[in-house]
Amino acid sequence: MSGYEAVAMPPAERQFSRRASIVGIGETDYAADYQAARTRPAGWQPPTPERLLVTAFERALADSGLSRSDIDGVTCSFTYGGPSALDVARLLGTSPRFAEANGNIMAGPLPVACAAIAAGKADTVAMVFSVAPRNTGRVYGGTTFAVANADDPDAGGGAPVTYYAFNPWGWTSQAAHWALMFSHYQWAYGVGEEELFSVAHQVREHARAQPQAVMKTELTLEQYRASRYIVRPLRIFDICIVNDGAVCLIVRRADMAGDLRQVPVDVAGWGHAKIKQDKLHAMVRERLRPQISAAADQALAMAGLSLDDVGHFEGYDASSFHLVNQIEGVGFTEPGTGLAFCQDGQMTIGGRIPTNTAGGNLSGSYMQGWSQVAEAVRQLRHQAGRFQVPGLQVSMTNLAQTDQSHPLVLTRGERR
Amino acid sequence: MTARRPDRTKGRFHAVFWDWCARGELRLQRCSHCHHITWPVAPVCDSCGRPDLVWERMTGRGTVVGWNRFDQDYFGGLLPLPYDTLLVELEERQLFITNPLGFTIDDVSPGMPVKVAFIAVEDSAGPFMLPVFERY
Repeated sequence: MSGYEAVAMPPAERQFSRRASIVGIGETDYAADYQAARTRPAGWQPPTPERLLVTAFERALADSGLSRSDIDGVTCSFTYGGPSALDVARLLGTSPRFAEANGNIMAGPLPVACAAIAAGKADTVAMVFSVAPRNTGRVYGGTTFAVANADDPDAGGGAPVTYYAFNPWGWTSQAAHWALMFSHYQWAYGVGEEELFSVAHQVREHARAQPQAVMKTELTLEQYRASRYIVRPLRIFDICIVNDGAVCLIVRRADMAGDLRQVPVDVAGWGHAKIKQDKLHAMVRERLRPQISAAADQALAMAGLSLDDVGHFEGYDASSFHLVNQIEGVGFTEPGTGLAFCQDGQMTIGGRIPTNTAGGNLSGSYMQGWSQVAEAVRQLRHQAGRFQVPGLQVSMTNLAQTDQSHPLVLTRGERR
Repeated sequence: MTARRPDRTKGRFHAVFWDWCARGELRLQRCSHCHHITWPVAPVCDSCGRPDLVWERMTGRGTVVGWNRFDQDYFGGLLPLPYDTLLVELEERQLFITNPLGFTIDDVSPGMPVKVAFIAVEDSAGPFMLPVFERY
């Protein structure tokens, strides 16, 4: 999606593997903030990105046990705009020697911070991400962000979201991408529409054990059947929630991370692959499998691990169906078998690959890949609660968009 | 009254596409070097990046490979809900997002043959001819 500015990914090389560790995580109160935004109790103020990120940062700092003066790097990631990195550093009460804007969604910011640490720019980086689409009235799909004269740079046009060209036929929105993929998948593999319920249901079951998850009520097949469609064949329960919030990750030089409050979580590998041409074909016919697979292989090779070592997965469930694309794309199950795989319990504790154990974007929080990393950290610390994967050592997160894929391999580090 | 549609993307290359539609021809950009078809409209080849694109007339025949029905109103009431879209694979092997004409997604099956037709519609820039697909 060209609406999101990409960061320049550092290469997926062994020299960068396990050079930095996540030592602190902080998230805002997704469920409480979502409820407050709906009920608007007396005195309630809409959250600003600034207020949210300060909350996430203070929690991450407390979680790490570090002091404010230990923070010598700050990066900030805003999907729909926010203050400058220096302003953010001041807001956090820090005086970093390294402060930079760092992309937005979890498609590169963590590798960038790790590379900065490896290059000696900072020892301890507070990475903050904040998104307030509810507060800012962000609309997904339609003509909201259309740009005039899109193919003519001389006319001052910027890069529009590629799917705006389909507006005259009414085809729009991220949801439509996943829906179109699923319509073709149903035909290609002979699966029924309702089989997708198992994915929405599994992720909801995980969310139900998480106090901070936005959607925690039981999801029954009857409710699913009765729910409204957004873009057929996808229903509202197949599409991610939209909520405001922030995530902070504190990332520190690995050789300084072993004697802190928490077990360090090492950033062991990353990857990136993007389709080069024929987006509709790659998206609908291949469901990005070549890209998702290649990027995951890069990340595993960088980490010196194989897919068999991975015991937990956090995918980007913008849609229930897109989670299937990633489970199949990474290679946990064969193409066309993802729904049966989920129905068989393979995506929860006791199955092959417990997936989105905090409720993902579908039921947990729409933090655009950042809350997935926070959950992977909890899992690797063995602090994930009811859906903890026993003895977990290696987790993979993956942010697949409609045209590219960004996996991370995280490993449980050692106390020194 | 002519049916309203969401706005076309403007720009000099896009304008060529719609000019051909006005003449009842579905033409897409084919690269004169690598022969790759680029769609949606672009200033350079999607495959090799060269700018030497030729507007080639498609046969207008294809098969259905995917579908959607929009229940969500993304265009502020401009399009009556629900409405259907199709993904058609043209004989030239290019995938093309369009609307069904004279049938709905309830009637589609994998590989169903369809052919292009042009309907008169308008957007904020004025009337234009929209390529849609009917049963073949």
